[in-house]
This record gives sequence, C-alpha cells and structure tokens, in this order.
Amino acid sequence: MITAGKYEGQHPLHPKARQILLDAFDQGWADPAQISAQGRQAQALLHQARESIAKSLALKVSEIELWGEPELISPIAIWGAPGFGSTPFIYGATERSEIIGMRAKSKQSFEISVDIDGAIDLELLTQTLQPNSIVAIQSANLETGVIQDIKAIAKAVVAQNAHLHIDATASGARFVKPAYWSTLHFDARSWNGPTGVGVFALKSDARWSNPLPHTKPTRAPNSFSIPLALAAAGALEHWIADESANSARLKSLIERIRNHVKQTISDVDIAGNAQSTLPNIISLSFLNVSSEQLVAALEVEGFSVASGSACVASALEPSHVLKAMGLLTHGNMRINLNHDVQDGEITKLLALLPGIISKLREN
Amino acid sequence: MTQELDCRGKRCPLPIIELSKKINEFEVGQELLFISDDPATAADLSAWARMTGNEFKIISADNFLITKSN
Repeated sequence: MITAGKYEGQHPLHPKARQILLDAFDQGWADPAQISAQGRQAQALLHQARESIAKSLALKVSEIELWGEPELISPIAIWGAPGFGSTPFIYGATERSEIIGMRAKSKQSFEISVDIDGAIDLELLTQTLQPNSIVAIQSANLETGVIQDIKAIAKAVVAQNAHLHIDATASGARFVKPAYWSTLHFDARSWNGPTGVGVFALKSDARWSNPLPHTKPTRAPNSFSIPLALAAAGALEHWIADESANSARLKSLIERIRNHVKQTISDVDIAGNAQSTLPNIISLSFLNVSSEQLVAALEVEGFSVASGSACVASALEPSHVLKAMGLLTHGNMRINLNHDVQDGEITKLLALLPGIISKLREN
Repeated sequence: MTQELDCRGKRCPLPIIELSKKINEFEVGQELLFISDDPATAADLSAWARMTGNEFKIISADNFLITKSN
C-alpha cells in the first residue's frame, strides 16, 4: 500500500497487532502495580512486552521506558539533559518542529544547516560543539526519508562528551544505533504499531534527570495503555519479520520511482540521494504544480499520498524541511511504502504520473 | 521601464506559476519586478531560479527583481 494519512507516513495497524490489541483489552486491563491476580497478569504481560521491544530495538530492558504520549519524548529527553537551558542546545535544521521549538527554552541555541541532499553540515556541528552541549539530531527525516550519518555525528559528539539525543521516529526499527548516544526516541507508528505508544531510551551511563515534577521515583509517568503497549511489542516483532522479507524489494521500488520520474518529468526536485534515504520514502516536488490538485488527482486513481506543501498542510508557512534543503516547497508529494505494497501498484502509479503532472501544468 | 507582476494576496503555488508564465514571454536579459507576499515565495524562488536557470534579487520582503537568463 502506498499510503500516508494524518500522521505523515502512517500505515494501518499491523493485522497481527490488531488481534493482540483485542485480546489485550480482555487480559491486560488491570493496574500492574496492584497485587490482585489480574494485576499480576497485566504485570507479566507488560514485562514480556518490554523485554520484546528492548530486544527488537537492540536495547537493554533497563534502558527503555514506554510513553503514552510519544510526541512528548523528544522535548522531555532534551529538557532533562544535564544543564539544558543554560548550556548550548544544538539541533539540525530539518529536525521536527517540537525539537526546534525547544530553543525557546534555551539561552543558547544553534541550528546546524543541511546541504541540498539534506545532510547535516558536520564541520559546522564539530565547530559548534562544546563539552556541555546538548545535541538533538534525527536519524532520518519523515518528510524526505533523508538519513543522517549518525555514526559520524556520534563520533563528533563523543569527542566532546556532550549529550546526544537521537530522534528515531522516522527510521524506527531500521535505526542502527551508533556506539555513543544518550537518549533515543521511537514511535510505535513507525513499525505499524498503534498510535499512542512511544519508546524513550536512556543509555545506562548517560546523565539525565526527569524534568517533570517528581511525585514518584520513576523516569516516566507510566500512564500509558497496557493493551496498546502489548500491541506495539507484537507489531514490532511482526514488522521485523516483514522487513527482512521485503526491504530489498521496497528499496528497488523507490529506486524505480526515482529513475522513472527523473526520466519522464521535467522540473522536479527529488529529496536526497538514493544512497542516503530510507528504503520506503520518497519526496517529489513538481515545479508549477499545485499539491492540493496533485493529491486529489492521485486520490481519484486510488493512491493516497501526503504532501509537505503549505497549501495542503493548511498552514501558511512552507515545509521547513524542504526550505532548509533549498528544495521546491510547492507541488510536493510524499510516497511512503508499506511492506504489503504490490509491484503492480507502482507500475500503475508511474504510468499515470507524467500525464497527471502535465495536465496540472496546463491549467 | 521594468514590467511588474503583482501577486499579492495569492497563495502558493499561484505566484510562482504566474511568474513562470510571465517570464516565458520575456527576452533574455529583460527584468521583471515580482511582488508576492506569500510566505513560500522567497524559498521557492531559489528553487525556481535553480531549475529554470533564471536569476533573482531580493529587494525587500515582498519585492523581487527577476532577470530572464535562460
């Protein structure tokens, strides 16, 4: 399925996770902190889910916390880093808005520019880094699929022993962690899990303190839904199995789209290069095309795509990600492939696209 | 006299589409004063210039001097 819904790039819940979720509402509803039989059952299920998520993400169980409001994870992770507010806060120009927004809470903030392929200016980052800096970088971008060289970034950050927060919400289980990191943010939606479950990871030796009022001796509010957490764990296991069967196929489909669009349509910006983008995402911006009309024209043909252009996002400001890369912000469409996409769907899309674009350009 | 294209009040992508149409009628070297208050215009002009081979100068927040160069 070529899809992108309300949440950029969101896919339907994994069918197997759906079953887990329904069963979990019957079995895992109780408060795991209570010692009743139901409470003990919920606790055991939750323990299994945490172990499974940690194992799938190659983390220690003690390093992860589940959050019921995933969008809060990055801001809280940054806010709780040592000295946040008075020490330099460094972030990439294509980070998600809630991360960039944290600059309002810091006395010193530095935005690191990206090149036309979306890659962070590593030299500028290295020059800006200080021993007490807090660095927030995404491993990949949800709008464009651009992957950062997180290994090289981590190397620069470790040299200063600074805090490294990595936003892995776009790469999800595709994320390969570098040797050095401090905090990580995952969203279950990235592996076709349910909305409303995020994973916050804190490296065992990292310094961090919960910036929220300390009413309990915990690192997280723990008010997440247990059934959703169990479904997130199940979805992750199944997603990994689907990925190993389909990753090469998705990559070649994205490559096909990239080459076909380049050959058949003029005046188009394709974000990033084939070597440094996620295997399932491609962002295309067509000059002199209205994204609103493009998305509608594709919808009629049965293709559901998203757009980062202002005219579709019901915001006046254009996408800060495309703008930071110096790419065209109008006429944008994003294709985000799910594991169940059929090769024939892409063949159909590619056969239709040049005609749709030229028709829209004639208007 | 420099011709003018006033796209104030028009939303993305209309200003750039109108600019593309207008510049097609121009000779190489001819200039156009392009006025647009859409927030996407400044960002899109750089991409437009790169893709079409034309040049532009920012005169003020909403005023751009376009030179047909291709």
